[in-house]
Amino acid sequence: MILPPLVIDVHVRERGSRSFRIWFPFVVLWPLLFILVGFALVVSLVVDLALLLAGSRYRHYTRLLLGAMHVLADLRGTQVRVDSATTFVNLDIY
Amino acid sequence: MSGDRTRILGMLADGKITAAEAETLLDALESSAEVPAPVKAPSADWPSGPSEGGTPKFMYVKVTGEDKVDVKIPLALLRTGLKLTSLIPKQAMDQINESMSEAGMSIDFNNLKPEDVEDIIASLGEMEVNVEAKDGDHVRVFCA
Repeated sequence: MILPPLVIDVHVRERGSRSFRIWFPFVVLWPLLFILVGFALVVSLVVDLALLLAGSRYRHYTRLLLGAMHVLADLRGTQVRVDSATTFVNLDIY
Repeated sequence: MSGDRTRILGMLADGKITAAEAETLLDALESSAEVPAPVKAPSADWPSGPSEGGTPKFMYVKVTGEDKVDVKIPLALLRTGLKLTSLIPKQAMDQINESMSEAGMSIDFNNLKPEDVEDIIASLGEMEVNVEAKDGDHVRVFCA
């Protein structure tokens, strides 16, 4: 099942200055994302069908779009943390 | 915290310190209060090395030394990304290969078959990379 990230948590801190943190509930963008992807899927299906009828060897735009959605979904669980002398960056994708 | 503040004000009232010294002390007290609590390193909960048996789920990159870097990437992302390369149109893939070659990475993704991806992922479970730099940095990459 393709399930895009639920929450993206970004925390940036420069030494000697205030920290900056965004806890972004990506889930609120899901409805918009699904509408856009749904529309793109219809277009890609029509394009692939046209390519099939035209005898083209490449007709994978729909699979490419679904693959891109899979990449987005598989980002869940990513953690990046950089702690240097001057900067601290923390990224969590849930 | 308010105890420290009261003590400083008390010292000022007793004439033990001047108003300027009290101000410096209070500023120092406030700035120390602004230091955020240290965030627990995610690597504290990570496995210590490659998984023995079973399919690895994450790739871990740990850099220790002057700078500390912890990266945890789901292997599903790698798997999907590699499979996606087989769907990219040939012209676009040729351009990608060319750009990567210019950047010093001569990898021809045209030769990568989707059926090979699972073998690559499974083999990563046995992989462990340890790099000890001259400047004392230590880089460790493994999958678990």
